[in-house]
Amino acid sequence: MEFNVVLAGVGGQGTILAAEILGVAAVKDGLNVRVSEIHGMAQRGGAVTSSVRIGENVLSPTVLDGQADVLLGFEPLETVRNLKSASGKTLVILSDECIPPTELSAKNVAYPAMDKIVEKIRRFSEKITVVETERLAGEAGSILTQNIVLIGALAATGKVPVRIESLKEALRELVPAKHVEMNLKAFELGYEYMKKKV
Amino acid sequence: MPDPNVLLKDNPNQRMLLLGNEAIARGILEAGISIVTTYPGTPASEIGDSISAIAAKAGLYMEYSANELVAVEVAAGAANCGVRALTAMKHVGLNVAADALMTLAYVGVKGGYVIVTADDPECYSSQNEQDNRYYALLSNLPCLEPSDPQEAKDMIHSAIEISEKLELPVILRTTTRVNHTRGPVTYCNLAKPNLKGELVRDAKRMVMVPAHARLMHVKLLEKVDKAKEISENSPHNTLLRKGKTDTGVISSGSAYNYAAEAVNLLNLGFDILKLGMTHPLPEKLIGRFLNSHKRIIVVEELEPYLEVQIKAIAKDYAPDVEIYGKMSKQCFPRKGELSTRLVTEGLAEITGRKLPIDFAKMDETYAQMTKDLPARPPILCAGCPHRASFYIIKRSGGEKANYPTDIGCYALGAAPPLNVGDLLICMGSGVSTAQGMRIATDAPTIAIIGDSTFFHAALPGLVNAVYNNARITLAVLDNATTAMTGHQPHPGTGLTGMGSPSEKISIEKVAEGCGVKYVKVVDPFKIKEATEVLKGALRHNGPSLVVFRATCTLLSIREKKRKGVKIVPCEVSDKCSNCMACIRLLGCPALVVEKGHVRINKTLCAACGLCASVCPYGAIDRGGL
Repeated sequence: MEFNVVLAGVGGQGTILAAEILGVAAVKDGLNVRVSEIHGMAQRGGAVTSSVRIGENVLSPTVLDGQADVLLGFEPLETVRNLKSASGKTLVILSDECIPPTELSAKNVAYPAMDKIVEKIRRFSEKITVVETERLAGEAGSILTQNIVLIGALAATGKVPVRIESLKEALRELVPAKHVEMNLKAFELGYEYMKKKV
Repeated sequence: MPDPNVLLKDNPNQRMLLLGNEAIARGILEAGISIVTTYPGTPASEIGDSISAIAAKAGLYMEYSANELVAVEVAAGAANCGVRALTAMKHVGLNVAADALMTLAYVGVKGGYVIVTADDPECYSSQNEQDNRYYALLSNLPCLEPSDPQEAKDMIHSAIEISEKLELPVILRTTTRVNHTRGPVTYCNLAKPNLKGELVRDAKRMVMVPAHARLMHVKLLEKVDKAKEISENSPHNTLLRKGKTDTGVISSGSAYNYAAEAVNLLNLGFDILKLGMTHPLPEKLIGRFLNSHKRIIVVEELEPYLEVQIKAIAKDYAPDVEIYGKMSKQCFPRKGELSTRLVTEGLAEITGRKLPIDFAKMDETYAQMTKDLPARPPILCAGCPHRASFYIIKRSGGEKANYPTDIGCYALGAAPPLNVGDLLICMGSGVSTAQGMRIATDAPTIAIIGDSTFFHAALPGLVNAVYNNARITLAVLDNATTAMTGHQPHPGTGLTGMGSPSEKISIEKVAEGCGVKYVKVVDPFKIKEATEVLKGALRHNGPSLVVFRATCTLLSIREKKRKGVKIVPCEVSDKCSNCMACIRLLGCPALVVEKGHVRINKTLCAACGLCASVCPYGAIDRGGL
């Protein structure tokens, strides 16, 4: 058994932390795991992709094209940019938080409509859920917890081969102590939202 | 990021999720390495950063050195007094340190010494994608190549052992996908660092004048022979997967992961010889492997380093064996980063197997779906003082001036709409290339450099400008940190890698001391004043230097948050005429255009007020504190 998730977003959105939570949880459950991240120049507001692969025979930290079980999009356009990791079997979960690339502003071009984006995703997979991360994170206490809302949503799919409790433990360890409660709430809100959808 | 203190847990057999660089840091603690020197550089930065966070507690010495050459020299001095040392750097850092490296190989070491060099295939955060295994070949130093975090840690032990056995520095060559991969790592015991060394005088071994160097070169070649024996028997050079076919794969480092997955994916059942010690190569082991196969496929990241040598070995051991790789039979690309897909495609082509996934069809759909997808390259952060500096530089120098630039966040100034950056080669190149450009064009020339890079590599170039009376201006964009690599301290910050205070070296005093006559410091957010000063520098008949001083916005935001200071974002008022000057001139990510109107993203805006300063209609209300 193998589980592959690609986390696509913009530098600063917390994709690395989200990937690390999944990785730490996998180790807690005694599983083999590889997490890939990109640091440095690429992080400065640019497109960033992390991936997490869990499974006995996993060696490469990156996901083979078309082989993502879940494509977790932290930003709609970045979800589209990473569609190569998706295929019919992929569950695409994406945030509704649009971060317009400066190129769009410079050319005075509007950010594409959400239904157009979903249409593109559909060419790769029919299994799509848009999560209102901005609203849910706000409800949890800070829009900076959108990454955790998405991890909660991912947990609710039942596809991640780690225990929910391990994910929460990992979160407690990795988030600054004073923000733990808020992030656990974000996790729950994401979880409940997704449960209702599936 | 996990608490760096987890690296200090003395609980052998504990399994932890560690970044490759954190695993190397753990290896440092387990191997009793007592001196760690580094200059930060992606993808190697977290090695030094992890050690910096715990060095005092762990009882070892750590420093952010002024540059990689100094880092190697400091460590070499200690290692020659018998203290175990390690230096970490990105691949191009070894170019800076190469002068020391080549002759340190002759001198050798007494305490174990490891040089970690991190290659960056695909240039995720680098100016080139050179393959540093060639430095092992060039210097005759042993080289180890891990494929994952666990091996990265374990190989620190092996490297120290080999280094002390041969009295030679050992190179640990990683690539981005090892440094920046997290994986489970099982701990061994911690060792106690020992900083107490002793100089045992031995001029014949240690003072490389020609008469001694000739002798030590012979000694080095003898050591290489011993290293070959170590390589033949190294636990890191193993036949990891035994197949039943007449084809064998030879691979190393992160490429091994792709090769093993690709062989499985295509159900090929090939033998795989995994090489973890890639200099010197285990000639006999490889010879036997070649001899027992008809066809050999070499899978390696970047250059055909193994392939060339394997072909030479084949000439003696198995002249008829067919060898596939990156050279005459171009099965894998020599540029960029490998992946399981690229290796699978290469293997499918060699064997005639059908690909299990229709990649071509996938590519076609992907191309259709993304043809109008806007790019999202890295950009200067909202509130970055460099944006203000570039605005001033462009206003002062205009289209005619030359703008050679340098390595750091400010390299992003070369992108539209700022378009300040004409030539970029390596650390410190801006100030010197400026001098050649000035001679060749006779146009005003403003070289751009950061504070950390200034101390790293600009000093000889600056001295050269004064000595040769070059009429250039050096703009030092001083944001009080090494921002791009993760905010490490540097000689101008007054803080060491151990977290203790030190002398803050003043950039302007250094320049004055070098003999620069026009030296000024400006606040880049005071546009008018700073522009006047820079124009003055351009009129000056001789080299001039202007320091644009403002703290990195990420640090000042962090500081404000810590103090509970609220950031009030800027706001566009109804005086806005939609002239788009702010968008056109600045390219700030907090400025967005929605339905033809400029809006300020409140989450991103750092209230720097630059947009308010440049707006010709005064239509942006400056936020503030």
